[in-house]
Amino acid sequence: MNILRWWWGLLLAFALVAIGRAFLPLPFANEVLIFSIYTMGCNYLLGRVGFISFGQPAYLATGAYGAGFYLFYFGNNPYLGLLMGIAAGIVVSLIIGPLFVRLRGDYFALVNLALAVIIFYLMQKVLADITHGDNGLWYLTSLTSTPILDLTRPDQFFIFAFLVAFALWAFYKYLDDSIFGALCLATKINEDKVKFLGYSSFSIRLFAFVIANTTTALAGAMYAVYLGFVSPAITGPDRAADPVVVTILGGVGTLYGPLVGSVVYTGMKDVLSKIIGNWELVIGFLLVFIMLAGEKGIWGSLAPLLQKLFTRDGKAPDRGGSR
Amino acid sequence: MNTQLLISGIIFGLSLGGIFFLMSIGLSLCFGLMRIISLDQLLYYSVGAYLTYTIGLLVGDVWLGVIGGVVVAAIVSLLVERVVFRRIYERDLPFTMITSFGVLVGGVGVIKYFWGLIPRPVPVPIAAQVDIIGTDIPVYRLVIIGVAVLVYLGIWLFLNRTIIGKAIRAGTEDCEHVEGLGINVYRLFTITFIIAGGLSGLAGGLYAPLIMVDPQMGLEVLAFIFMVVIIGGLGSIKGTLISSLLVGQVVSLGSLIYAPLAQMAPFAVMLLILLVKPTGLFGSALQKR
Repeated sequence: MNILRWWWGLLLAFALVAIGRAFLPLPFANEVLIFSIYTMGCNYLLGRVGFISFGQPAYLATGAYGAGFYLFYFGNNPYLGLLMGIAAGIVVSLIIGPLFVRLRGDYFALVNLALAVIIFYLMQKVLADITHGDNGLWYLTSLTSTPILDLTRPDQFFIFAFLVAFALWAFYKYLDDSIFGALCLATKINEDKVKFLGYSSFSIRLFAFVIANTTTALAGAMYAVYLGFVSPAITGPDRAADPVVVTILGGVGTLYGPLVGSVVYTGMKDVLSKIIGNWELVIGFLLVFIMLAGEKGIWGSLAPLLQKLFTRDGKAPDRGGSR
Repeated sequence: MNTQLLISGIIFGLSLGGIFFLMSIGLSLCFGLMRIISLDQLLYYSVGAYLTYTIGLLVGDVWLGVIGGVVVAAIVSLLVERVVFRRIYERDLPFTMITSFGVLVGGVGVIKYFWGLIPRPVPVPIAAQVDIIGTDIPVYRLVIIGVAVLVYLGIWLFLNRTIIGKAIRAGTEDCEHVEGLGINVYRLFTITFIIAGGLSGLAGGLYAPLIMVDPQMGLEVLAFIFMVVIIGGLGSIKGTLISSLLVGQVVSLGSLIYAPLAQMAPFAVMLLILLVKPTGLFGSALQKR
């Protein structure tokens, strides 16, 4: 029973996503899944390690271009493209990580943004011969169909994205309950004490940085495969804060925050932009409101209510859907 | 590279540096006293630019528009300070950063509501050119440099020669002692915030004739402002001046050498400086109180 309880929240959430698939348009469902993977890395950095990063598009673009270069110049297999994106993410965050994780929180946010801008101009102008500048690389038609799950078809891509998202969720949940997860949280709260216990806060942060940004790179590679092209717009400075906004909307550091936030954010973008034409207004003031109202986010405020509803006398199973 | 190109490049860089200085001084002042990262300064920058456009169109005088922009930006910043920042001065830096980003994004939505999405042109108020060592330089750029110098001197005099300025400087050192002397620190915060907002509006108004005014203009310069503030060190006014001049020159002269360098070089400079000195050139290791 304990194992079931451990998993039920996760299963329930993804059952909802699977049911949602029947009602929602396919591009929306795919967008939500990829976006939630994208946000997951940011959520881990912000909620568990205490790093706020305004530069997640940099790592998204790393993964997207890792996959894009492979698919455009070398091969046609989308799965290998995804692997290339992940590899690019690991390599880049291993190179950059040691430089960045030493910085103080506020500088970390700014330096990441700078990295995003550098990659943007690198891809748009400096490497224009290879990346075709603003036009981007198009390879949608040259992707080969793969057996079992055909990533070139949106409906099968949904199943793949669903499985990947589920696996990642399980992984992050496992991470949360492991010693490493506890150490991450501890460095956020009191770095000196962690050092005093004999752990290296530097390597903890580096490891978390690499994990989170590889997740983001995977999301980038998935975008590259799903959309069939990559262009520098993916890392544009105007989109720099998207993952941070979604993380806050969903609830910082909560397990389901990224999923809830992505659904709300993508939904607002789709629905509101049709109705009133400027959804920034709503997003911006919602963000301010959430921050002023106690920064718990949508999931963070919903979770206690749900717990009261589903468990007797309001006592939470401590490993249930509460995190 | 010939001399004419070099001179016009340097003047261009100086005027760009002046604009950068005016834009980032608000952020720097807010960090220096209140320990908040106030990204909404970029909203006041857009507000200043848009009012310059509207008043310039209605009255026909861009200078009047700039003044109107400064006033309205200051009023908007007062409102935002009262409604939002009052409640979050005690919170940690990332918190203020995210909240102020929310204000910025919401404000961009409001601007879109009033002025629409189309970029608007603003006429240059001084079309004359002046001859400096055989190179034609637009007078307007020289005016921008002059305004930036005046603003720096004004802030310096305000902080060092007036009693309120001295209280603000004391507040930067030790807030609680200033409160202990019977000075209302929150009033100082409000004053600083209004000054910062007004200066951001001034930057928008002055820069508007040189670019197109569009709703995303605040987000477009966001990266450059971050960079200026980081290189100079958060909270240091002298550092902000020096780093904005440095960044202006790097952008301007870099683009003379190789065009894409204009966007990239400053970021490379910033990364280098941060690796050598993680708090920027003049920043101190100040933490949140």
